[in-house]
Amino acid sequence: MGRMNKLLNKSLKSFTIYALIVLATSVPAYYYLVDSIWLRELDEHNEIVADRTENELNKLELTVTELNQSIVLWNKIQPGTNLQKTTLDKNRKDSTYTVLRKNPYAAHEDIDRFRGLSRVIEINGEAYLLTVETNVEETEETVVAIAILTFFFFVILVVGFLILNRRLSVKLWQPFKNTLTRLKAFNLNSQTSITFENSNILEFQELNEALNKLIEHTISVYKTQKEFTENASHELQTPLAIIKNKLDILLQKETLTDRQYQIIEDINKALTRVSRINKNLLLLAKIENHQFDGSEIINLSELIEQCLEQFKEHFANKKLSIQTEIEKDFFITGNKILIDILISNLLLNAIRHNSQNGIVRISLSKTGLFISNSGMKALETENLFKRFKKHSDQSSGSGLGLAIVEQICKRHQWTIAYEFHQETHTFKINF
Amino acid sequence: MKILIIEDENELADSISEYLSEENYLCEFARTYNQALEKIESFHYDCILLDIMLPDGNGMNILEELKRQDKQDGVIIISAKNALDDKIKGLQIGADDYLTKPFHLSELAARIYSVIRRKQFGNSNTVRQNELEIDLLAKTISVHNHPVILTKKEFDLLLYFVGNKNRVISKSTLAEHLSGDFADMLDNHDFVYAHIKNLKKKLSEAGCESYLKTVYGTGYKWEG
Repeated sequence: MGRMNKLLNKSLKSFTIYALIVLATSVPAYYYLVDSIWLRELDEHNEIVADRTENELNKLELTVTELNQSIVLWNKIQPGTNLQKTTLDKNRKDSTYTVLRKNPYAAHEDIDRFRGLSRVIEINGEAYLLTVETNVEETEETVVAIAILTFFFFVILVVGFLILNRRLSVKLWQPFKNTLTRLKAFNLNSQTSITFENSNILEFQELNEALNKLIEHTISVYKTQKEFTENASHELQTPLAIIKNKLDILLQKETLTDRQYQIIEDINKALTRVSRINKNLLLLAKIENHQFDGSEIINLSELIEQCLEQFKEHFANKKLSIQTEIEKDFFITGNKILIDILISNLLLNAIRHNSQNGIVRISLSKTGLFISNSGMKALETENLFKRFKKHSDQSSGSGLGLAIVEQICKRHQWTIAYEFHQETHTFKINF
Repeated sequence: MKILIIEDENELADSISEYLSEENYLCEFARTYNQALEKIESFHYDCILLDIMLPDGNGMNILEELKRQDKQDGVIIISAKNALDDKIKGLQIGADDYLTKPFHLSELAARIYSVIRRKQFGNSNTVRQNELEIDLLAKTISVHNHPVILTKKEFDLLLYFVGNKNRVISKSTLAEHLSGDFADMLDNHDFVYAHIKNLKKKLSEAGCESYLKTVYGTGYKWEG
């Protein structure tokens, strides 16, 4: 699994990015708004100043000399305004402008922005050009101020998202998590359906209903499939029995030739194999369906000895030497029939896949059960316990022996391992 | 000897009857649960072959019915189920033996033979064939009244042959009988030959006629 993100984190990321974009674009918008308000207000202010100047100067009713002196003085002490005689037409329209200029009075070397108004005014019947300039906030300063504020709100938003997210993920997703916990605990083998908690959230309710449907369907398919194996095996028993019996009758015919007898015998052998495969499939289905009780206490040492006794003649037949190291009275809990099958299968394999005059070694102790036999080359471990995987070129055998062994181990929660070492196959079972 | 075959599968019932009727067995059939109930109520049989899976009822109930009526008929359950609890239950209710399909007719015949002998001859259950005497209870034999020591498997084989007199029994059938489920897993069936050779040798050394004949190279037949 790569890096996994929680669903809410994913939406949180999108929300955050969206908020960032919206807030970022709001910065220039705010700037233009603030700036234009600034300028409009200043223009108004400048106009008021200009109107007042015109009115006040006219009210004074100064003489020309007095006026000229006043204008010189005015221009000296009223920075930001300027009054000059002009030849411009009196009816000229006012002009407004913005100018950047060094402020000679400021301690720091700074360029300030000014908003100006130049208007032709009439004093005592003469035209004068009045310029009024007012300091206005610089563009950068406005932008920076707005940006800082915006960023501050952005941070508040994100922190808010995070907190909400954490609370929501706990609360909102609770039903989902409940469903998930139940799903994780679900085991198809147990074939018991799950009941989900009802949720008043539509999506989760839908999910639960869909899951319920799916699980019920799965269980029923699984059941059908298992029953199919079991039923198919059952149904095969009768025709197999008929074939077998007819062969037995055919064998009694007096006109039979040696060749015909041999053919019957070959059919018989094949038939025995089919029957065995059939029985083994049934057995596998039954183990998987937990149709075997597993609470008997079994003396494994005795059971192994009995199996060895049962196969004694087959050991002798292949001139195999048996080396046993079996701890006395080793008890385990399990199903006797299954464990008998387990040991028989492993022993039979040890006999069948052994070389003439080979060795079979059986050891049983607390470390586990080891069954080893001589062999030429290691078996492929990957598919060793799979059904119908043949591990040798011998044609006999059902191809289910090791699959059954593995299933029996699983049933009892034991582990089985295979290894090949010094020309010896070893199967090891840990209890 | 009267045998009742309770089996819904006609082919199977016919084969069983054909094989058995060559011996002096008289076979009757019941194809359904109800037919079977009627028959067991009205007649006595030496042995009943009971398929427990019948279309109209469970064969186990027939077994219970037999017990309720205190009938002494021998019963062999033949079933497609290899279920162990069925087997145990059947034997507990009173069946004498249990055989799983598919089986060899010779196996069935040998078991019928044993069941009937056990039911009818009780404590002095011995079979005689001229100089050969088999004590089924003590599992011993004697030839000309001299005991011959047989291994368990040899005795088992001898009984199997006696239960299938004048029938051809193939080597693979004997291998299945001797090694149970595992016959097909064994690469060769030479162990059958070894047991038979020993049995023949012991019998002939004790002065027994050679009733056991080899036919078709690897088949056997007990003549008697």
